[in-house]
Amino acid sequence: MSELELTKRRLEREKAARRQAEAILEDKARQLYHANEALQRLNGSLETEIQRKLIELDLSEQRYRQLIDSVDDIIYKMSLDGLFTYVSPAIENVLGYRQETVVGRHFTHLVQPECWQEMAHFYQQMVRERTLSTYYEFAAKSRDGRRVWIGQTVRLIEADGQIVEMVGVARDITARRNAEQALQTTEIRFSTLLSNLHAGVLVEDEEGEIILANQQYCTIFDLPVQPGQSHRQSAGLAQHVLGEVAAFNARLDELLRDRKLVEADEIRLRNGRILERDYVPIVLAGRKLGTLWMYRDVTGKFHARELIRRSEEKYRGIMNKMDLGLIEVDRTDIILRVYERFCAMLGYAEDELIGRNINDMLVPPEFQPLVDEQLQSRQQGLSGSYELQLIRKDGSRIWVLVSGVPIYDERGDLVGSMGIHYDLTQRKELELELAAARQVAEDARMAEKQFLANMSHEIRTPLNAIIGMSHLLLDTPLSPRQHEYIDSLKTSADFLHRLISDLLDMTKIEAGRIEMNLRPFDLSTLLYSTQKVFEMKLTDRPVTIDVLLDTRIRGNVVGDDLILNQILLNLIGNAEKFTEEGSIQIIARVRREDEHEYVIDFTVSDTGIGIPAEKLDSIFQKFRQVNPSAHKPKGTGLGLAITKELVELQGGTISVRSQVGVGSQFMFTLSFSKSRDMVVPVNNPVPVAVSPADIPQCRVLIAEDNPLNQKYISNLFAKWMIPFGMASDGAELVELARQQVYDLILMDVQMPVMNGYEAAEAIRKTPNPNLFTPIVALTASAMLDQREMATQAGMNDFLAKPFEPMQLIDVLRRYAPVGNLRERSADAAEQAVSTAQDGLNYQRLDELYGDDAAYASEMFAAFLSDVVPDVANLPTLCRVERLPELAQLAHKIRPTFPMVGLTGLETELEQLEQAIHGKQPLDQIEQRCAGLVQELNRMVPLLQAELQKRLHLST
Amino acid sequence: MKGIVFTGLLDMVEEQYGYELVDELLTENDLPSGGIYTTIGTYDHAEMVTLVRALQQKTGIPIPDLLRVYGHYTFRSFSRSYRMFIDQATSAFELLNSVQHYIHVEVRKLYPDAELPQFIIDKLTDKTMIMRYESERKMADFAYGMIEGCLDHFQEKATISMADLSGDGSRVEFTIQKE
Repeated sequence: MSELELTKRRLEREKAARRQAEAILEDKARQLYHANEALQRLNGSLETEIQRKLIELDLSEQRYRQLIDSVDDIIYKMSLDGLFTYVSPAIENVLGYRQETVVGRHFTHLVQPECWQEMAHFYQQMVRERTLSTYYEFAAKSRDGRRVWIGQTVRLIEADGQIVEMVGVARDITARRNAEQALQTTEIRFSTLLSNLHAGVLVEDEEGEIILANQQYCTIFDLPVQPGQSHRQSAGLAQHVLGEVAAFNARLDELLRDRKLVEADEIRLRNGRILERDYVPIVLAGRKLGTLWMYRDVTGKFHARELIRRSEEKYRGIMNKMDLGLIEVDRTDIILRVYERFCAMLGYAEDELIGRNINDMLVPPEFQPLVDEQLQSRQQGLSGSYELQLIRKDGSRIWVLVSGVPIYDERGDLVGSMGIHYDLTQRKELELELAAARQVAEDARMAEKQFLANMSHEIRTPLNAIIGMSHLLLDTPLSPRQHEYIDSLKTSADFLHRLISDLLDMTKIEAGRIEMNLRPFDLSTLLYSTQKVFEMKLTDRPVTIDVLLDTRIRGNVVGDDLILNQILLNLIGNAEKFTEEGSIQIIARVRREDEHEYVIDFTVSDTGIGIPAEKLDSIFQKFRQVNPSAHKPKGTGLGLAITKELVELQGGTISVRSQVGVGSQFMFTLSFSKSRDMVVPVNNPVPVAVSPADIPQCRVLIAEDNPLNQKYISNLFAKWMIPFGMASDGAELVELARQQVYDLILMDVQMPVMNGYEAAEAIRKTPNPNLFTPIVALTASAMLDQREMATQAGMNDFLAKPFEPMQLIDVLRRYAPVGNLRERSADAAEQAVSTAQDGLNYQRLDELYGDDAAYASEMFAAFLSDVVPDVANLPTLCRVERLPELAQLAHKIRPTFPMVGLTGLETELEQLEQAIHGKQPLDQIEQRCAGLVQELNRMVPLLQAELQKRLHLST
Repeated sequence: MKGIVFTGLLDMVEEQYGYELVDELLTENDLPSGGIYTTIGTYDHAEMVTLVRALQQKTGIPIPDLLRVYGHYTFRSFSRSYRMFIDQATSAFELLNSVQHYIHVEVRKLYPDAELPQFIIDKLTDKTMIMRYESERKMADFAYGMIEGCLDHFQEKATISMADLSGDGSRVEFTIQKE
């Protein structure tokens, strides 16, 4: 064998082995590939499998969760450090927390703080001792702060011999816990109550053995109590306290036999104390279970009650004997209690009244409002007295004075009221009689007054005609004889007129019907006017009349100028009568002056015949004349008496000095306060000679029913060339007033159909062109109070009949519009321009109306009839402080002002509104109102003229 | 039987006696594999018996001795090829103790068709190990040589005694007593 062969074989073997190995490797690689593929497949299905198993696991867990969730008890898991790892939703029902808010929190979060320590101890002990399951109760706090009692069973969960967590099942046991507590509280209360009762309590069982007695019982009877004894036996031991044991026991037997609840059985003890006993059989479902005895010491109460009873008896006696009827009602007016005297007043028996409603029973319907009002004040706790009638049982009525007071119970709550009634029937009857008598007297006085007024009217009206006619006659061509006759006719009529006036004045003074009317006036003007009057009379006699006025008198004084004038006229008239030559002096001298007033001495002296000394005393008496026989009657004999009365009425004094043949001096003293106001000098009613040219031109409307007087006035006006309208009664006058605008209305007061007051009211209150025309009352009733009535009816002034022509002229001067009527009507356009400054805004009127006079006249008429009266209301509304209405009215009427060209007043109205809204002082507002009225009144004649002009243009 | 056992044996014969003897063994014996072995192949156990017997006849060395030497040799070659297993242990006993539960488990992962003997530890102390060998191959002598190789590797000295428990060599108990 060659080396070569060997090597060759070896090489072949190794080649074969290599191929074999390659085949094996290839096979292995294939196997590996397959194995890998299988492995991948396995891997894929493994994931699916795991997914499926997980879902199954999930479902199973969900089922368990649902099971847990549906349980009412809270199930929770907690880690060993006390944090919740799971809580079932039941926690929301039980404690209000949401499941997710609890997980992760420490258990103390849900537990009342006072339980924390014990609770922690509980869990720690459980873990330490490895107690697998434990029950525990604690107070939890709910989300809304309630205290909820929880009972829980806790189980430890172990894994690999280690405790890993705790699982608890907890439920709300509050109800049970509360019930237990309530029971416990009740038990404690009862035992406390029993031991603290002021009553002695003894309880026996059904066999009559004592099962319970409190300390008080033992104290009352001075006994030791041993259970097992009977009540009888224990009472036997208390002989020293009880006294009559036999009677006591007999009563016990009786009570036990009857087995009925008996309260307040009275027992008198040996030592004088008094007990009250309640016997209470304890019965359940008809079976006797025992007896409760209660003893109370009522000695104090008993004595107090006795005192009250006696006191009540005493007062009841007093009340019944008094003349006062007492009654008590509850809050619904039901009679609770009534006393004898009240019953007697009303004729009812007590039991007829108790329980009835006092209003239904006794109060007449017309008094119900009064009673209701009183009851209301009673409800408010106020007492009060009032008078009313009550109906007696027999239907008759009595008058009572009631004093009502509220009644309160011990808590201070109002429970009713008490009325104390005093019978006033007799007094009321007397009062009624008195009132009736007074009414009769009043009526008589009124009749007398009416009679006097009528008389004066009846006498003065013909006198007026006589005097008036004699004036007219004197203006006709007369023979000297006729002139003389008429002169003496006039003198007699004048005398008669004065006599009647004086008589009436005297009557008035005596009746106290003259009232002082104080106002500021200028004393010097008054004195000098008086001087002028007499100067005229004395023109053809050698008598001078002088006024000496103290220069210290400055400014105005406040007093009744009319009365002062009357006094001076009387005294100077007297002097004039009795002085043939020489002088008459009127002296006013300040006797005293201070900051507020003057005291002035007036002297009227003459150089006349004088008064004999013996007559001086009676000179001021009525109907006394110094020398009736020696002189022709020159006076009524009332003049000085009236003068004295008038001086004294003003708090002054009057005296006289005289010497026959030398003269007389009349002195009087009056005080006047100083006035700060300036008096606008008024046109004095000084009758001075006038010619028709001086007489103001105006249109006058007259109401006069007496034909003679009508004639007199007509003649005067004709003579003066004054246009006038004449009405025979009020109704006619009102009719005439509707047709035309006048400058003045003279109004007789006493007229048929419609009297002067009514007519004046009609003119002032109904639309007509004369709403603001001055009205002067003509009245023969010289009574001063008639003046008041005239003013109330809306009249401006007062002229007493009979009047002389000069007096009438004076009235005309006072009320005729400024300027001459003829001028005004002749040159209206010019006037319009001249008044545009403070009068009507003619430019505005032209813009508004142009040539449409009919429309303009409508607007003017409407303004005069509707708006002007509204303005007159402004001051009244202001005075009664109805400011909202005032503002409303001002606002309402304001737009009408520019319609008649009163743009200035429109602004003033606006300012008035602002003043009201701006809450300016009331007096300022009042001033504005008054200013408005004044300004408008000034404008009314302009408006009327404008209306007439436009009316004229439109026709 | 794994190819490595055949290639290992033939490698050892070539080392000791030269490739002529290897050639003779492969040529003169009836071997179904044709005498071609690769370490990763698997061959009939009978061929190993045939080869060992022929080697005993050629060399005169008794079969048990042959197998023991061959075991010794195999451990050495293993300690080179399979170092990762050997290095896991720090002592002979530790390595021997891990054969059954670790090394053979890993071997089966590599060669699922490998037929491996059981090595059961009956006693283990610091000094003594009693280990049972169980296999139908009845190659306890080969195991004996492996144990010697293992002790040599860790440079440890121990007396190894062998007791045939089954009488046919399929269950043999080794007692390894360290000095």
